[in-house]
Amino acid sequence: MTTERIASDLNARGFALDLRAMYARCYVRLVGSVREPAWIIGDAVFPALGMAAFVLLYRALGAPRTLEAVAVIGGVLASFWTNVLWGMGAQLYWEKQQGQLALYFAAPCSRMAILTGMAVGGIVMTSVRALFGIALGFGVFGVRVDPFQVGELIGVFAVTMVALYAMGMVLASLFLLYGREAWHLCNALTEPVYFLSGMYFPLRTLGALGSVMAGVLPLALGIDAMRQVLLGDAARGLLPLRTEVLILIGLGLVLCVLARFSLAYLEALSKREGKLTQRWQ
Amino acid sequence: MSAQLQRLRTAAWLGWQIESNWAAGLTFAVYTLIRPIGTALILGGMYWAVGGAARPQLFAGFYVANAVHEYVARVLVGMGWVVVEEREEYETLRLVYTSPIGMMTYLTGRASVKFGLATFTGLLVLLLGWFVLGVRWEWSTVRWIPLGIAFVLTLGSTLFLGFLVAGLALNLPRIAVSMNEGLSVGLYLLCGVIFPVDLMPHGLREIAFVLPFTYGYEAIRRFLLGEGSSAILGRLSDPQLLGLLALTAAVLSLVAHQGYYVLERRARRTGKLDQTTLF
Repeated sequence: MTTERIASDLNARGFALDLRAMYARCYVRLVGSVREPAWIIGDAVFPALGMAAFVLLYRALGAPRTLEAVAVIGGVLASFWTNVLWGMGAQLYWEKQQGQLALYFAAPCSRMAILTGMAVGGIVMTSVRALFGIALGFGVFGVRVDPFQVGELIGVFAVTMVALYAMGMVLASLFLLYGREAWHLCNALTEPVYFLSGMYFPLRTLGALGSVMAGVLPLALGIDAMRQVLLGDAARGLLPLRTEVLILIGLGLVLCVLARFSLAYLEALSKREGKLTQRWQ
Repeated sequence: MSAQLQRLRTAAWLGWQIESNWAAGLTFAVYTLIRPIGTALILGGMYWAVGGAARPQLFAGFYVANAVHEYVARVLVGMGWVVVEEREEYETLRLVYTSPIGMMTYLTGRASVKFGLATFTGLLVLLLGWFVLGVRWEWSTVRWIPLGIAFVLTLGSTLFLGFLVAGLALNLPRIAVSMNEGLSVGLYLLCGVIFPVDLMPHGLREIAFVLPFTYGYEAIRRFLLGEGSSAILGRLSDPQLLGLLALTAAVLSLVAHQGYYVLERRARRTGKLDQTTLF
């Protein structure tokens, strides 16, 4: 057997192993998430209630009905940000607290495969749960959108998710260094990010700040793009839809590469500083 | 009595250490403030998006109630979190449970820190509203005594509901944290914090009218700003509004107090007092 053949065989085996690791982590997330009915209520019902409150605020203030749709679309996507923060970013911190993180690092598969499995599981789980928000917004509150192209919506959603969960992977690597700050950082990144990404109002309302956020936060741009697909001009979009999609693709690529490097760097750093297995701090 | 106070103080001191000793003072203050300020800014963003069509006085009422809801959010989420944290992070809940301090005293002590933090953040949210969003009121027309009564009854209800939440957390897995967050959000909707309860569909509106917070927020708006937001509750006189607040607060407190002990016994019986869960 030639050296190239052995290397190729090892690569193929490595790839197969990574796929299996990805599937395994995704499986745990999906099965774990349906095992506890309380978990489903906590993730699906309650976030939608917050969105409902914002729809009713618009109604109370006498806002145009399109702003209610703006709030519903933002509210549905809010659950994905929550999942990115708590289910991706803070996950390695939880694993560290439970003493399982060391097993991840001792395993022969790529860490990126584990994080990808976590992300895929998170997207599927959250998509299913987001259906409740959609039903509440469009069914109970009677919010309406313009006729739209399903393919376009799915495409925009897909690039948004890739960019968003790639950011989650970057956060996950960053949180390797953290102790209790992880929990506080997740809290700190919830409502302020909702504000900065125009979760419940058009991003354009924020003026120049909104433009800056669009270049930094995939969530801001993704929400704006999805609103443009669903509401057209009434969405008061920040940039043309095509431009936003291109930026999202660019952000996704950059964040994936960044996640790979930051994970390797921060793993080494946290090992050096003795924080990889440190609990209760 | 002095022993009880000593235990309460110890629990509060421990709570403060756990809450704050992970960071320097300034960092801690930034982290503490950033979330409620974020929520206040979301309301501001929505108000700006509506533009000239929005009624400033109505928005002021919602904004003030949102600042007061900080107590509910912090204490409810916090008391449930205390249980999960002690049980699953530090694995010390069984030690607290078997020590002479008593869970109720311990939880009250830990909650007192949350009350302090909520006061700090609530005041800063009001300051932000006053200076940035134009949420203001006439100091000379504030009716302090009924406002104080409404405030105290609302806070009391929050504490007792916190016991119930802690009892639920004893029986739930780690998801208790999300459930507590969810309950806080649910109350945000059900009690008409940022909209008049009149807008709620039937079924939900009836639930709103058995919760003390609905009357509490309406009373705080009425006695601080001079007008409430609900046409239905607007038909009640001041004594009627305060009376309903007191009645619902008393019922909730009784149910929550007894409910906590039932849930605690259940957790012990089912062996969940020291469970650890992570998916």
